[in-house]
Parts: sequence; C-alpha cells; structure tokens
Amino acid sequence: MNSMVDVLTRLPLFKLYRMTGWPQMLPLNLTLSPSPKCNSRCLTCNIWMKRENELTIEEWDKVLSSLGQAPYWFTISGGEPLMYPHVVELAELAYKHCKPGIINIPTNAILPIIPERVEKIAKACPESQLIINLSLDGVGAKHDYIRGIPGNFEKFEERLGQLLELKKSLPNLAVGIHSVVSVFSVGHLDELIAYADKSGADQFITEIAEPRVELDTVGLPITPEPADYAAAIDRLIAYVQTKQFKGISRITEAFREEYYKLVKRILEVQDQVIDCYAGWVSAQIYADGTVWPCCVRADRLGNLRDHNYDFREIWFGEKIKEVRRSIAAKECHCPLANASYTNMLHDVPTLARVGKKVLGIGGKGKSAEKPSVPAGAHLMQRPETLVQIRPEALKPLPHPSKPTAGLPGTPTRQAALEEEEVRIAPQG
Amino acid sequence: MAFDWLTEFHHDLEKEPDYNEKALAAYRLGMRGKGSIAGIKIEPGANCCEAARNLPEGKIYGAQEVPSLPLPGCPQGRRCACVYRPAMNYQTKKAG
Repeated sequence: MNSMVDVLTRLPLFKLYRMTGWPQMLPLNLTLSPSPKCNSRCLTCNIWMKRENELTIEEWDKVLSSLGQAPYWFTISGGEPLMYPHVVELAELAYKHCKPGIINIPTNAILPIIPERVEKIAKACPESQLIINLSLDGVGAKHDYIRGIPGNFEKFEERLGQLLELKKSLPNLAVGIHSVVSVFSVGHLDELIAYADKSGADQFITEIAEPRVELDTVGLPITPEPADYAAAIDRLIAYVQTKQFKGISRITEAFREEYYKLVKRILEVQDQVIDCYAGWVSAQIYADGTVWPCCVRADRLGNLRDHNYDFREIWFGEKIKEVRRSIAAKECHCPLANASYTNMLHDVPTLARVGKKVLGIGGKGKSAEKPSVPAGAHLMQRPETLVQIRPEALKPLPHPSKPTAGLPGTPTRQAALEEEEVRIAPQG
Repeated sequence: MAFDWLTEFHHDLEKEPDYNEKALAAYRLGMRGKGSIAGIKIEPGANCCEAARNLPEGKIYGAQEVPSLPLPGCPQGRRCACVYRPAMNYQTKKAG
C-alpha cells in the first residue's frame, strides 16, 4: 500500500524532475473523469452538456495497470462520478493496480443509490482512505438555485445522514462537505460555515470557482472579486483558527489555511505564486482517454487509445515537453485546489509555515496574514449559538452582473432567486 | 476579468477536427436540458478574418442558426482562434 512516508521521499525527486527532466516520475495525484454526465445544472459548470466516447471499464483496467503503484491520491471526478454506472469497478481497479493511500470522490448527493455505491467502494478498497465530499453551495433554496435542481438541499441532507451512519461501520470512510466559492455563493459563506460546523461532517473544504476548459466556463463571470473572496475567506480562516485539531487533522487544516491564503494571493497578483507541478506530479485522465496536465488548461497531451493504454508513453513522450515548458514559464496561473495542494507540498516556505503551525511554534498571533476575527466567529464553536450569528454574518450577496464584472446589476440576490425560472433537470 | 490568460490560451488552442460537431451538440443538449444556458456566442480571435469581424457583436445564436467555425473563407483552418461560448441566463437577463 502506498504510504505517506513513501510520498514524502518522492517529493525532492519531483522537484528535481521539474527542474532537470530527471528522474522520470509518474504522477502522485491523478484525477479520473470517467464520464461528463451529470444530473446537476450548476451555474458554475457546463460539463453536464458534454457527451464523449467514454473509455470502457476494460480500457480503464489497461490504463490503470500501466500506472503501477505511482499514484497516492486518486480523485474520481465527473460529471457526477457516483452516477457513472461502473464507478465501483473503477475504484476497485485503481485499488487493485495502484494501491492508493487516498481515493477522493466528490458528489452532488442527488441519487438514492449513492450510499450503496459508497459502501461497496469502501469495502472493496479497505486499506485506502475513502473521502466522499458532498457538494454544498448554499443552505436551503440558495443551494438548489446554484445547483439548478429543486429539492437538491433536501437530498443533500438525506445523503449526508446516510453516509454519516455508514461511516460508523466503515473505518476507512471520511465524509466531508465541499463548497465552491463563486460569485453566487461568496456572500453566504458564513452561513455555510455555520451549517457545516454543526453537520457532523469530518471536514468542510472550499474551492474557489475558476474558469476551466474542462467545464466550458472560460470567460464566464463566476469567480468572485478578489476583495469579496478575501473578506469571506478571512472569516473562514478565523473560524478555522478557533477550532482545536488533533493528529493528522492539524496538518490537513494547516495546509487548508495555506491554500486559502494562496488563492487570495493568486487573485491579487494574477500570477503563479508558487511553482505549479501539474504535468509532473498531478494529471487528469478525461472520459475519452485524453490525458491533461490539469482540467483548467486541459492541454491534450495524447489519447490513451492511441498509445495502447500506456500512460507512460504519453507522460514521458514529446508532446508534454512543450506544455511543461509553458507551465514552468508561468504562462498560466490558477487556484485549482487539486493541483494547489500538490504544489504546496513542494514549496519549502509553505512547508515551513505548516510545520511551525503544527508544532505550535510562533502561535496563531504571529501569522503574517492573520485575518481579523469577525464578531461572532468564535460563537461558531458552539452549535447552540450558531443560529445567532447567521443574520449578522451574512452580507448582501454579490451577483455576477454587478458593475465590476462588466455587466449591469440587479438589486439583491433574493430578487434574482425570485426572478429565475424554475429549472427542472433530469434526475439521472 | 480574472484569468484573462486562460481566455487567450483557449483561443489559441488548435481545434479538434470535430470541434463544431461536439461543441454544438453539447449546447443543443444544454438548451434542451433545462440548464442555465440561453444560447451560443461566437467570440472572435484577436487576429480573426474579415468574416468574423463582420459578425454582429454580442449576438446570441440558437443551436440551429449558429455559423460553423472556422467561418467560410477563414484562412486559418484549425488554428482559427474564434471560439464558441455559452451564453448563460444569468448574463443575458442582466444584459437584456
């Protein structure tokens, strides 16, 4: 089984690989997108419209066997990955061939079959940590509006309850809540934090909405303004700092805080703030077998069908060299969470700050970017007081149409909610 | 706008031979599938051909009426930097 110690020993080699092209290494962090099909209709994503000549499960078998035990972290993405009919077999194959430490699956929590599939995956991959992150972009009607599915929030709550129940008998299962901080949701992040805090989930993680080629969202005004994001995320950081974490959670939360600060910085300076290792340490395999360094650029490095399903042929081939040059030359920058966490593992100043935080050196007060704790943030520690902070914490919700986004505005989010036509999407 | 580099990068990507077919099939499905897409825009590339320059600015097309890319007479073939973009309800309502 792939271990974290093994990962740590590979990090310096990846740095060397990125700098010199040697030693050749397969990625640690691999995202598999077996199908773009999705039963959500999110305002921040258009992948659900795509249809591909998808790899069969037999083809995935060949691809995964070509990777050996290199990947430590798999994300099975989509579309809605738990809607993909062969998701259990796909996870089993990843486990059989690669023995990953972590299998991470995001889900929109809509389909009733989700708990059954999660249970099967957890049981089939007993030595991997299985992380199921349920998407939540708002509380109640706000969630349904952003995700485009009436009744989605109700289903989210039902699925969360089912998965938390399942977790009691599955020691390798962790259940998290994942929020995309977009222009539609940045104004109610406090409410999401408060909800997540009392939800019983193992973790609450956020990722900024950034345009991606994969999602056909290039040019869409979905990313919050830097100042709006900074204000919201500072309150999240302040909240996280009120919590006491133990064991491995101390490390993951320290990285999370670093990620939030990194995103702020990227939005501020519009540059690759730390070196990006997409194309060296992380990669994505799209539904039709195309290999990408990441889903933001989605450079077509090659299609596995044209390379006898051998990932190595593409990864160590000629075409990837130009893409690596471009990434290393900082011709791109983005806050993609999946790649950013990998990048932070290779950034010595980040590691030093995480180390100091985990060891308690310097204390919270010495953080250079210590956010101001908003009034009421500490109340979030106590579930019985959560409801008290919600009205004060929420500020008027920004809208993508606000003048700074280059479009005329509407007065309030509520007006937009009322105005929006009821959109009913198929349930799978 | 944030991530302008990506917009340029996307314009510069060489088109797959089935770019039209796939992109328009996706948008057709999107418009039938009760999502937030209202129509299709054509975003001309920086050094686009005259036909692209003459397209009505900001026009939102239906899936059946949108011109194929590259436009007739475009000398750039698969390197044509014009792209389709989804026009989302939340954009068009505000703009309209």
